[in-house]
Amino acid sequence: MSAFSYPDSPDPIRADLAEAYRWAWAHIAASGTWLSGAERVAVAEETRRARRCGLCRERKAALSPFAVDGEHDHSGALPAPMIDAVHRVTTDASRLSRAWYSSLLADGLSAEQYVEALGVTVLTISIDEFHHAMGLAPEPLPEPAAGEPSRATVPRTEIDEVWVPVMDVRKASREQRALLGTPPGVPKVPNVIRALSLVPEQVNAWVQVANAQYLSPDKMLGFETGRAIDRAQMELVAGRTSSLNECFY
Amino acid sequence: MLRASIEYQGGEGDLSAVTEGSKVGDGGIAHGEKLTTFAEAAVAGDEAELATARDALRAAAGAEVLVDAAAVIGNFQRMVRIADGAGIQLEEAMLSLSQDFREDLGLDGFASNRSRTLGAVARTVAPVVRGITKGVLRIAGRRRRRSEGP
Repeated sequence: MSAFSYPDSPDPIRADLAEAYRWAWAHIAASGTWLSGAERVAVAEETRRARRCGLCRERKAALSPFAVDGEHDHSGALPAPMIDAVHRVTTDASRLSRAWYSSLLADGLSAEQYVEALGVTVLTISIDEFHHAMGLAPEPLPEPAAGEPSRATVPRTEIDEVWVPVMDVRKASREQRALLGTPPGVPKVPNVIRALSLVPEQVNAWVQVANAQYLSPDKMLGFETGRAIDRAQMELVAGRTSSLNECFY
Repeated sequence: MLRASIEYQGGEGDLSAVTEGSKVGDGGIAHGEKLTTFAEAAVAGDEAELATARDALRAAAGAEVLVDAAAVIGNFQRMVRIADGAGIQLEEAMLSLSQDFREDLGLDGFASNRSRTLGAVARTVAPVVRGITKGVLRIAGRRRRRSEGP
C-alpha cells in the first residue's frame, strides 16, 4: 500500500493533501543541498523523538530554557548542535534566541545545514500535526535514498530582520530567484519565505505542502479559498494555532 | 488576514477569539467556537479533548471542514517554527497595520516578539491606512456579494 493512503480514516482526506504528503516524504528521503537523505530522515526521526525527550520537557517547564543542562534523548545519528536545533525548534520555538543560533554555528553547524534541518523539521511537524489533529497514526518515515548533497550555493546576505543569512535577491540569478516562488503582485519577498531562502529547495518544499494545507501563492492575497473552509475560518484557525504557540509573526 | 477576511465578508468579528479562543464564542465567524476548540485541543489538549473537539466540529460543519481545519493547523504548526527558528521580524507594513490589535490583544508581550518599535510617523499614518483599507475591503466584499446574488 502506498504512503498516505488513509484506508482507516473515517473522514475523506483530500487527494491533493495525500499527494503533497507523498511528495514531501520523497523530498525528505532524497539527498538535499547540504544534508544526505540519511541525515534528512534522521532529522525527521529526531523531530518525532523530541516530543518524548525528557530534557525538552524540563526546559519547557523552566523559566529560561537555557538554564537547564543535560542531554537530549536522541538517536545518535546527528551531530549535537543539530540535535539541539531540531529538539528546541520542535518543542520550544518561541523562546529561541539569536545568541542560541550563534552558539550552534560556534559548535560547528553551518548556517546552510541549520536552514536545511529547520526546513525538514518543520515539514515533518506540519504533516505529523495534521495526522494528530485528525486522530490518525503518524506515517512511517521513508527509507533514505542514496546520493550526495548537491552543495549548490546561492548569493547570500545578512539582514537585520532574520537571524539566518538569506538569499541576496539582487545578486541572485533569475532562476535562483524563481526558486523562491514569490506570489505574483508581492513587491518584496516576505520574511517568512526569506527565512529558508539560503536553501531554496526548502522554500519549494514549504510552498508545495502549504499549497495543499493552506493556500497556493496566487490565492494568498485574495479571499476565495476553493475549500470547504472559508478565509475567515481559515485565518481564525491559523491565528489561534499561532497564538497558542506564542508566535508573534 | 483574519481582520481583512471579516471586513471583506461585511461581518463584525471579535479578534480576541485568536488569543482568548473558544471562551469568547464564535468571534463572529461561522462555527468559530468549534474551530478554535479544535485548534486548542490539537495544539495543547489531551487525546480525549481532541477527539471530542473533532467530533463536535465534524457534526456541526461536516467532515470536509474538519479536514481543511486540520490541514491549516498542520500548516501553522510549521509556520510558527519557521518564523521563530529563523528569528524573523514582522515586516514594517504589517507592523503598522496590526499595531492596534496587537496592543489590544497583548501580542506584543509574546516571547517571540523581536520586532522593532514603530517610529512616530508610522504610528501616526497607520490608523489612516487601516481606515482606508477597511473601507476598501467592505466595498469590495459588498460588490462581490451583490454580483453573486441572493
